[in-house]
Order: sequence, then structure tokens, then C-alpha cells
Amino acid sequence: MPYHKFKCSECIPEREKHAVIKGPGEDLTSCLPLGYKNTIPGTISERGCAYCGAKHVIGAPMKDVIHMSHGPVGCTYDTWQTKRYISDNDNFQLKYTYATDVKEKHIVFGAEKMLKQNIIEAFKAFPDIKRMSLYQTCATALIGDDINAIAQEVMEEMPDVDIFVCNSPGFAGPSQSGGHHKINLAWLDQKVGTFEPKITSKYVINYVGDYNIQGDTEVMVDYFKRMGIQVLSTFTGNGSYDDLRGMHLAHLNVLECARSAEYICNELKVRYDIPRLDIEGFGFKPLAESLMKVAMFFGLEKEAQAIIDEETARWKPELDWYAKRLQGKKVCLWPGGSKLWHWAHVIHEEMGLDVVSVYTKFGHQGDMEKGVARCQEGALAIDDPNELEGIEAMKTLKPDVIFTGVRPGEVAKKLRVQYLNAHAYHNGPYKGFEGWVRFARDIYNAVYSPIHQLSALDISKDEIAADAGFSTRQMISDVNIDKNEITPIEERPYTGDYDSVTKLRGKTYRGPAPEAEPLVGAV
Amino acid sequence: MEKATENTMENKVEQLIDYIMKWCLWQFHSRAWDREKQNEGVLTKASQLLCEEPVELETPADKCYWVDAVILAKEFKATYPWLSAMDKADIKLLMQALKDRLDYLTITGSLNEELTDPKY
Repeated sequence: MPYHKFKCSECIPEREKHAVIKGPGEDLTSCLPLGYKNTIPGTISERGCAYCGAKHVIGAPMKDVIHMSHGPVGCTYDTWQTKRYISDNDNFQLKYTYATDVKEKHIVFGAEKMLKQNIIEAFKAFPDIKRMSLYQTCATALIGDDINAIAQEVMEEMPDVDIFVCNSPGFAGPSQSGGHHKINLAWLDQKVGTFEPKITSKYVINYVGDYNIQGDTEVMVDYFKRMGIQVLSTFTGNGSYDDLRGMHLAHLNVLECARSAEYICNELKVRYDIPRLDIEGFGFKPLAESLMKVAMFFGLEKEAQAIIDEETARWKPELDWYAKRLQGKKVCLWPGGSKLWHWAHVIHEEMGLDVVSVYTKFGHQGDMEKGVARCQEGALAIDDPNELEGIEAMKTLKPDVIFTGVRPGEVAKKLRVQYLNAHAYHNGPYKGFEGWVRFARDIYNAVYSPIHQLSALDISKDEIAADAGFSTRQMISDVNIDKNEITPIEERPYTGDYDSVTKLRGKTYRGPAPEAEPLVGAV
Repeated sequence: MEKATENTMENKVEQLIDYIMKWCLWQFHSRAWDREKQNEGVLTKASQLLCEEPVELETPADKCYWVDAVILAKEFKATYPWLSAMDKADIKLLMQALKDRLDYLTITGSLNEELTDPKY
């Protein structure tokens, strides 16, 4: 097994099995780190807790819901408003956050009465909102507050409201992924099958495992609607509480992020016989194939092909402009979970980037299987790295850019390594054909940022050339571009709008051609 | 001679495995029993498509296997021109060897400790 031992973690020998180097001839039976284990004492993990995973990642993107945490206000604050999962109802779920503000006295005397009072107050403060998700935290779980009973009491007293109880305190798993698991199954057990949304198409899907980061969900839903497919629910980006109660009525679950949402898809398959189809919204080839797969399930190939042709013609040349300038740039692909495998191969194939490392903070071995299978030979794969390991890897691998979250991203900046926000994005959405160009644009802007030259200078000792002009990004990036090469006029930097999402809202769609039927046996 | 044939088959299987590992997700469901169904379902249908045989589409699950198989067969043909030169009997053998290898990499030889978890 090609384990990699970090010098900084020599004092934590258990860490050795959490990092591997994908060497020549290695495959998944010989090269896979441990994953989803309890954090090793002594290592400073960067993971979130199970409450955070349940609320911040999965629950809170639901848009027409009061998201109430039963616990100290700090738990709520730290899971509020940092992931840019927007919605088309004026971002209600981002603008407000709610907590019962549990103090020491409540730990002694209990906090159930206060919880009930808080729930009622919140509904009265927002009379148009009739749905609530209620999240347990460590403190209130440990004192045994029965949040189910309180939710039931309120629903009996206020018959027009509905409350979902998420019992996933912070300690309920090794990482935030434990919370993903808990809230998936809790939603299925408590809410799926309790509401019947109107079915308006012969082709009905749930779009699962997308959280509408800067509009990702809305971009993908637009493609489905253009094919004539009804997206019954989106789990949970821009998702509506009552639509998600009707997930059992879909014909197909289209799954994007298996790490956060395969649990509900698997159970929907067992309980309601709804099949699961895994797709990818990132990258031209994976996205085109994904749209075609969903279309083939319903016999809508013509509709899908029209979208693929139109979008590819519009955006591929602009992707090519960036790809020419990103060739061979080294990337540490260090997101949370699924993007390590969504991106590991396609940023190399379509943008020319070299992935020198992949890591996941909270992923399972299943995520690393996909990541290791897809990344390039020689890449360092790390599970649940601590900050010192991240620093050591950056100093050793010398990446041009890292794709990661805000916390390790700020550390990278101090090492003069550019970082791109892989969780909340810089200027997303990154899904969709246009989104993939926006991603390439952001990578380009990071890699060639002129700040690199300026930040390397120390004005207290370096000689600063007064006669040298300022180099723009393109002056730096185009050094190796052949000026004599004939470039199509469409091959240019991104020409889309600053906001590519708002215009999708309120759009009207035509249904599919009535004669659409599956092309059985076609290759 | 026999050795050379074996090597050729192994080499071809590895090329197809490389494609699946890089571009597909259907082989990586979270539990062993699902991986068995996925590998069997998708590769059986891909084999039928490559051999121009009828494909069963009775259930929603069949249709899911089928859509992944259609994409796979199309990409196999486009990426590996030697596939078109093979006769149907050899394609059957190749696809069976591919399935055996994929089962080993993703199920029987897998280091993923969660594959045998009895629940989702």
C-alpha cells in the first residue's frame, strides 16, 4: 500500500493510513486511504460536525422554511449564510437564522418550554411561512430535550404549520457527513409521502444532491424543463418543503452529489421503486452525457441533443480560450466531498490542468475510490487532512492554485498560493455549460492574478523597478500563445452576464414533442 | 501464441476499465449488493448493444442500466476502434472478462470498508 507519511504528523502514526500516492500500476485494491473515521486525537481536523452537516449543508437550502436550531446561538451562527445557496424567493433562508439561545441555566432546568415559545414566536414573526425545520444540537441532546414532542405539541396547537425534526446533534457521527446521513433518512421517514404535489408532465424527476450554490440547481433545472421534464422536487437547493414531501411521486431520482444524498435515493428505490441515475453537471462531456441519459430514460433524445448542440456551440469556444492558457497548471483539488471526483478528471481533460493532489475532509472511502480512480498518476490523496499536512503538501507539491474552502483557502494565501472557493464558489454558478466557462474564468483569474508578482516583493529590502510597467493577466498568460495562430472570433474570454441565473426565473417552457418515445437498442 | 492472446485480452480489458473508472459513476454505488447489480445490469446491456442483440427494458431499473449502457457502448466504439473489428463471440468474452475485472476492483478486491454495511 503506497501510504504517505507527513513529516508534521510523525507524532500521530495513525494518520499514515489516511494518505496515499497513486503510483504507476496502482489500482483501487492497492491504493485507497482510510476514510470517514473518528477524528484522531491530536490532529486538528478541519471537519464540521454532524449538526452542521445536517443543517448547514442539507437542511438550510430549503427556501420556504424557518430553520430553527435548538441550542447555543453559536451553533446557529456558525452554520448560517456562508455557502451562498441562493433561492428564488428573495433568499429567505439566507436572510434569517433562528436559535433558541440555550444558556447554562437551561442545561440545568431544561429548555423545552423555551423551545416551544421560540417556535411559536418565529411563526408569528413570519406569518407567511408555515414550515419549519428544527435542529437538535449537542447540548440539548445531552440534557434530553424531547424536540419531537414539542414539535408535535405546536403542530396540534397550530394546525396550519408543519415541522420537520432533525435529530442530528454534533456528536452524531465522525463529521458533517454523519449529519447528511441522518437528515436524509429523517426526511424520508417523517415527510416523504405526506403531500401530493400536482403532476404536470409525463416525465417527472427529483433532482437530488444539489444545493443551488450561486444558482447551480436553477441552471440544471432549466435544462430539464427545456426537455419537457417536470422537476417535482430539488433536494434541497432552492427546494420547497412541500415539494420535497412529494418525492415519492417521481419516476426517476437524478442524483448529483452521492456523498450527501445517495441515502435518500437508495431508500426511495427500496420503498417506492424509484430508480437512481447518477449524473454530473460539471464539464462539457459529463454534462452532455448526463442530459442525454436523463433524456433517454424518458425518450426525449431530440430535446436533449438540441440543448447540447446549442450550449456547446455558444460556450465551448470560450472554454477553449481559457484551456489554452491553463495547460499544465498544477492544482490541489481539496474540496469537501463530491467535487473531488466530479472535477478530478474533467479539469485535466477539458482545461489541461494537472491534478497533483486530491483531498476530502469528510468524504467516505467511496468518494476516495472515485477520486483516486479519476485523478492523475502521482497525485497525493489525503483523507481528513489537518492544517499542517495541508501546508506541508503545498510546500512539497508547489501548486499554482488550490480549490478548497474558505478556511484552508486563507492559509494557502499566506503561502502565496492562489485559492478558489470550491464550496461556495467565487463567481458561480459553475454547473452547466456556461457555468463551466465561469469556473475556467475564475481559475484563470486566480492563476494569473498580478498580485503574485506584487506580493512577492518586500519593499523593506527588495529593489523595486520604477521603470517596469504593470503586467496584466493576459500579458502574463499569453507569453506562450502563438500570435500567428488563427483564432476563431468566438474563442475569447467569457462574454456572459455578471448574473447568469436571475434571467432563468419566470421563464416559460414548451413541453416535449408528443411523439417522443425511447429509442430502444440505439447506440 | 496462447499467451499473446491472453495479453491482448488483458490489455483490452484494462483499456475499457480505464475508461469506466475515469468517466463513469454507476460502478461506485455505496454497497456491495448494489455494485453487483449495477455491474451486471450495465455491462450485460452494454454487451447486448455491442453485439446488436435486443435489450430488455421491462422495469425502471432496466431503463437506468440501459441508458448508462448506451453511453458506454457508444464511447467504447468511438474510443477503441479495435472493438469494431471484433466478432460478436469475442466481444461477449471481452465483456465477461471486463465484468470480472470490474467486480474485482470495485467489490471483491475493494478496500472500501463500508461496502458490507447491511444498511444504507
